[in-house]
Formats: sequence, structure tokens, C-alpha cells
Amino acid sequence: MSQALYRKWRPQTWEAVIGQPHVISTLRNALAAGRVAHAYLFAGPRGTGKTTTARLLAKAVNCLEEDLSNRPCGKCEPCLAVSQGRFLDLIEIDAASNTSVDDVRDLRDKINFAPNQGRYKVYIIDEVHMLSTAAFNALLKTLEEPPPHAIFILATTEVHKIPATVLSRCQRHEFRRIPLQEIVAQLTQMSTEEGIQAEPEALTLIARQSTGAMRDAISLLDQLASTGKKITLEMAQNVLGAAASQSVLAVVEALIARQAGPGLDRIHEALDGGSDARQLTRQIVDYLRDVLLIKLGDVKQVDGTAEVKALMEQHARQLSASELLRLIRIFNYSAGEARNAWQPSLPLELAFVEALESLTNAAESVPTGPTSSGQNLSRAPTKTAISPPPKAQATPPASETSDETAPASGSADAQANKRLAEAWPQILHLVRQQSQPAYATLNSSTSRLLSGDHLTLSFASNLLKGKMERPENLSLLQNALKQVLGRELMIRCVVDTTRRDSVPQGVDEDGMVAAALRDLGGELVDIN
Amino acid sequence: MREITKSSTIIARRLPILRVCAKIVGMNWGVIGHEWAVQLLSEQIAQKRLRHAYLITGPRGVGRRTLALRLTQALNCLAPPEPGQPCRACRACLQIERMQYPDLLVVQAEQEGGTLKVDQVREMQRSLSLHPYEGRYRVALLLRFEEAHPSAMNALLKTLEEPASQVVLLLTAESAERLLPTIVSRCETLRLRPLPLEQVSRGLQEEWGAPEDQAHLLAHISGGRPGLALQLHLEPERLQQRQAWLTDLLRLLTFSRKERFDYIEPLTKERSVLRSALNVWLSFWRDILIKTCGAVAPITNLDYQQEIEQLAARLDRSAALGVVSAVENALSLVDQNVNPRLVGEVLTLDLPKI
Repeated sequence: MSQALYRKWRPQTWEAVIGQPHVISTLRNALAAGRVAHAYLFAGPRGTGKTTTARLLAKAVNCLEEDLSNRPCGKCEPCLAVSQGRFLDLIEIDAASNTSVDDVRDLRDKINFAPNQGRYKVYIIDEVHMLSTAAFNALLKTLEEPPPHAIFILATTEVHKIPATVLSRCQRHEFRRIPLQEIVAQLTQMSTEEGIQAEPEALTLIARQSTGAMRDAISLLDQLASTGKKITLEMAQNVLGAAASQSVLAVVEALIARQAGPGLDRIHEALDGGSDARQLTRQIVDYLRDVLLIKLGDVKQVDGTAEVKALMEQHARQLSASELLRLIRIFNYSAGEARNAWQPSLPLELAFVEALESLTNAAESVPTGPTSSGQNLSRAPTKTAISPPPKAQATPPASETSDETAPASGSADAQANKRLAEAWPQILHLVRQQSQPAYATLNSSTSRLLSGDHLTLSFASNLLKGKMERPENLSLLQNALKQVLGRELMIRCVVDTTRRDSVPQGVDEDGMVAAALRDLGGELVDIN
Repeated sequence: MREITKSSTIIARRLPILRVCAKIVGMNWGVIGHEWAVQLLSEQIAQKRLRHAYLITGPRGVGRRTLALRLTQALNCLAPPEPGQPCRACRACLQIERMQYPDLLVVQAEQEGGTLKVDQVREMQRSLSLHPYEGRYRVALLLRFEEAHPSAMNALLKTLEEPASQVVLLLTAESAERLLPTIVSRCETLRLRPLPLEQVSRGLQEEWGAPEDQAHLLAHISGGRPGLALQLHLEPERLQQRQAWLTDLLRLLTFSRKERFDYIEPLTKERSVLRSALNVWLSFWRDILIKTCGAVAPITNLDYQQEIEQLAARLDRSAALGVVSAVENALSLVDQNVNPRLVGEVLTLDLPKI
């Protein structure tokens, strides 16, 4: 198995570390002056050289070269040993695998022994953010005052997870993302030395893709080179899933022309051609960003050929700055979304349609749910139907939840029904004082209808009806009715199998009022 | 104990599918599609430029695990017909196919939607420090690595960067974005994409004797994912379940709110069932969205084309967009451990009434 290029090309001298001059010069000056600190913290994004610098520092402090400023020499025994990974006094700890306080105690027990080979024992604690809180705390005293022969180098990508007490005991160095040009230069140099043929455009694409992380860039180069053929831009696009710039242009133009169908079809063509949906989304964001920059008059930051710039200027004229901003936000959100479970292309499709919607109804924000369009329509007629007071229903049991089975037989009954409805809570209350089960059963009746001396109670099931028909329950209710209404009533129980959720006439089937009646168990008092 | 039996039944259930994939052979390692990836890997093996860590990403059922197993076979085959090609007949190849090879360590969450724990990674690391037992390479296969606990991912970092020699780590995940960036940057990433529908359909017909209509339909439903299409072909009850859900969805649109709540309640008892139903519905609404936009892109639910077109004619674009986003949102909420019944009920409120 050949070694991955990023391992093979791990810098072995200070000069070979690229993109971090501020860190390297500080460390070299410290070495030259013989003022090496006892604890360092290297923080920064992935692939920017933290572990590499840590190993170089370990090498330098143990180097036998006379001239301090020339360390590490790379020729003496300790330097070679470090390079080959067999130097006994370089202890590299994977803090993500050894997170516990016991691991730190073990370290503390051993640190007092003098170094075996070199001048210093160097502890490189990589991925240090994964140490547990207890482990960090156990380390504090050692980190503050280690034995004179020990140097700690902590490395992490997530510096915010390190406790402040640890931060304050270390000399902290921030690693930055490596600029595009430096990555391209490094890749070019590597490819010539490795005998890899590559188009400059392909290398630029790789560098852009790696977003400032050298390891990502070298990995990609390695992957593309493994076929042994010349690396072309097309091949790089294929492996990266990057779409040709025509696809991006086609999608943007469909957006400007407000063409939904053709736009979606362009997207699908690009995806069928081998582009990655997320990648395409990012490319669209990049393009729109450039257009925005041009719109704001910052042409210098945009790189591209004269033709591309001319096109961008044309697009910049067709879209307003706020529209551009909205589009960028929508696509950017979709590019960052982690989910793509069912259909990888779905987030992009959604973003595209959403973007179109936001362009077409420019004033409003994008609708987030179907309710906004689906129910506004049905709500509008509700108002018109209700606002004139329903005359036919004014006197009949409008205050009842009873349904179409209750046609008003006479105004006397209607009056009585109205009184019953008003008094019903009071009756329930009386029954409740006597017996909780009777109250519960009574409360489950779906409608009550008074005609003459007969009170008809409807129940949703036979079970409930049977419960109500028990003599003790009936007598309880009769007493309560007598107390409140002042009259003796015959009680009849029926099972009402008709749909409970039908609503009185004049109330819109799909409106708010119907929903309140049906789903929330509301009672109709008055409609304004 | 129960969990162990559970996971083993899952493996047992998936075995026939594996064998099925194995039958679809060509010089292409017996993988449907992904020629570029197979070519890349076999050339790397042939030229001895193999890398120590690969990350294979793609949607479920697209062939990530199949590709990883084939790569393992190609690495450890006892009698490779030519360098970089597995014979798929020798003992080692057969054992790898069944994931019973001593030098193949399979690490995955106990069940789909579960969590891959840090202890599993540590145990694997110990085992990876040993020399291969009988093969040329010791291969660690970490399946569905997006399910790994963050500490498990972190625990893997150093091993992933510089493992022992003769060790190859293969990771599969839904997308690279769901892993730590530090993991991704240490691997060579192979992004598997859904295949052209025609290719899936042809594969089903030629290797599985599926009737043309059926193969065509399955290719559409699977959205270009051969593993899923095959699963549907071999387990017709899944196909029936899907149809039941779609029919229910159409019925649901005519229901009142109360009836919708009544319908959704039993469906939300089991999170995984709800998830599958939502996925089916999502594909259906996406089809409607595509139709309302007037695009000619292929739709997923070919057997419901008529209904989709009818619905598309009645809804406008923003309504369709709203429903798709609502279903998507519901799906992500289900994964985020929100009360499934609540999610289901809210979703039914968001469905339009026809």
C-alpha cells in the first residue's frame, strides 16, 4: 500500500509549512532565542498544519544542531528518529480515544521520569477538545508547572471546547485557512515532483473545493491522480460532482425568466450528467454572490473571464439587490441542510421553487405552509356567509350544538330549548355534586332536545346510553331538572349515530367556526 | 440480548438482497452502475496505489455497502482473475459477501436510526492493531457512520489519519456533511449518486427476470437506487404497503380534521413506520410539485400518474411547495425525537382539503 500523499508530503522543515507565517516565525524566533515555552495550544480548522507544526517543534527542541536557528536540521539522530516515528520521547496521545481522567493520571505518573533519548519529553495531545472535564482538571497542575524536561503541545480544531483554565496556561497559536493561491502553488509543485500531469484549471478547482484545508486538497489530488492519467478539468468536475458552469447559468436564467418547468428540467439534466445536488447548489450560491458583488460595484473581487463577467453584469441588471440577497439566502440554506435522506435532489428543487415564489410575489415572504393559500380561500366565503345574521336560524336552537335532526316544531319548544341550553351547565353542576360518574355520563351526551314534556338525550354509543338509563342516574338528573327548570320531565335516551361533526346551517363547512365546533368541542353562542 | 437478536435478524433479512446484488455481475465487480468508482478503485489496487481510508457516500440503497464489500473482496480474493478484480467464487470472497470474514470488521449502530457508540470504535481500534489473520488486508467497515456519536467520530480521527499498515478503513454515510469535517478530510470520498432509471430497470430485467413494466415502475419508485428497487422486487409486501399508504393519502385529503387525526394516530405508534410512510408521501408530493411547475422530469410514483396530474391541476405551485416542505419538516422532526403523534397530527392539518 502506497502512503497517501498527505502523509508522504507532511512538511519536515519549517520552510515547507505553508500559509502560517505568523505561527512559524514566532516559533522559530523562540527556538533561536532559546525561549521555548512549556505548553502550547495549536488551534485552527482541519488540514492547516497543527499536527505537522507540533511534530516539527518536537523535532526542533531535541535536535543536536549547534546553530539554534537552524533547528531542526533533519540529519541528526533525533530528527531522523522523529521523522520515522520511533523517537521515544515524543509521546503522541490521541485524546479522542483516551478521554478519561485515568489516562491523564497515567500521563502524570510517567512524566516525572527523565527523557530516554533526547533533551525534552514532548507530549503532543491531539484532538484535545475531546478530553473529559475531569481529565482537563486533572491536567491543570501538570500543565502549569511541568518538570523542566517536559513540553506539552495541545492541538485541536474546536478551541471553544477547551476550558479557560487550560487556555490561560498555554501559549496559544491560531492557525488560519490557507489562501487559494498558496494551495495552488503547493499542488503544482507536488504534481511536478510526483510526475502527475494536471491542468492548472483542475488544480484551481481542487484548491477552491478544499476551502483552505491543505489535507483536503492533497487528498483530492491523490484521488484524481490514482488513475495514472492526466488530470483534466472535466475529470475533476466529474469526481467532485461539480456541474459545468453552463448548468449554473441555465438555472439562474430560468430563475430570471420565472420559468419553473424548464428550470427544474435543467437541474435534472445536470444531476443526470453526474453533478452532485449539493455541489450544484453551492455553485449557484457562488455565482449569485459574484453577481451581487458586481451589483454592488465590487468587480475586483470577482474572478472569471471577460465573457463570464459580461454575463454577470447582465444578470446584475435584471435582478435587484434585495432579490439577489433573498435568492442567495434560500440557496445557501438549502446547501447547508444536513438532511438528504430520500432524494438528494429534493433540497435543491425545493430551493429553486421557493426562490421562484419569492421572486414572483416579491413583496411577501415565501409561504411556509399550505394553510396560507389553502385556507385563506375557504375562510373568505365564511365571513360573507356569516356576517348577515342567519334569519331562519335566529329563533330556533341556534345556541345548541344539536344538528339537522332538530327542526324547530314551535316557538314554545324553541324557547324551552333555549332555556335548557342556558341552564345546562347549572344542571351538570348539580349532578356533579351528587355523583361524579353520573356527571361524566351526562356530559358525554351529544345533544339534548326538549319537546313538550320529553327530554331526548342523544349518545354516541349504546354503552353510554345504557349507563345513563340506570335508575339512579335518571333520578339524579330528574331532580336536578326539577330544581333548575321547575318542571317534571320525562327523559328518553337515544343513540345518535349521525355524524357528530356536521355543523348548523349557515356555518361554513371548512371555516374556523366549524373547526371550533367539530374538533375542539365548542358550543355555538353567537356569531359575529 | 434482545438487541443482539434483533440486529442479527436484520442482517439475516438483508442477506438475500446481498446475494441478489452479487448475481448482477459484469466486469463491473457485480455492482449495478457506479462504473467510475469501480474503475477508480480497481486501478488503484492494480497499481498498488491504494489508500488507507475511503468514505462512500450516497442515499440509502444506492449501493454503498455493496461497493465496500466488493472492494474488500478485491483486496483479499484468493485467486483474483486479474489484479484489482475479485473472483467472487473463492472461500474468502464468499465469506466476505456474508460479512463473516475474519479480517473484515463490521461496525454499525445496532439498528437503523440507532447510535454507533464510542466503545465499538475503541474495540475496533484494538483489533485493527493486530496483523491480518489470513488475508492481505484487515478491513474495517463502518456502516452508516452518520449515526456515530460525536465522541465515536472523534475517537476514530487518529486511527483514520495514520492506521497500521495493511489496514483499510471503509466508511459509508448518507452525506459527507453529516460527518465531522475532520473525518471527511482524512478519507478519499466516493460520492455515489442515484443511477439513471434506465440502468436500474435494465439491471432488474436482465438479472432478476422482472417483467418490463414492473422493472420500469420499480426503477421510478426507487429513484435510481438499485438496492431499493431490488428490495421492493423481492419483498412485494413492501410494495403493497406503499400502495396502501398512497391510497390512504388520497383518502385523507377528503377527510375532516377529526377523521384525519383518527387516521394518523395508529400510524404514529412506531417511529420507523411513520418515517417510511412520510417518505412515501414526500415522494408523492414532490411529483405533484414537479407537475405543477410543468417540468418534464421523471416522476417517482409512476403508477399514480393520473392522480398526481389531477391533483397538480387543482393545486397551485405555492400550495404544492408548502405541502412538500411540510412533509419534509415532519420527517426531520421525527428524526429529532419529537412526539411522533404530534408531528403526524400537525402534518395532517397541513394537507390541503380536496
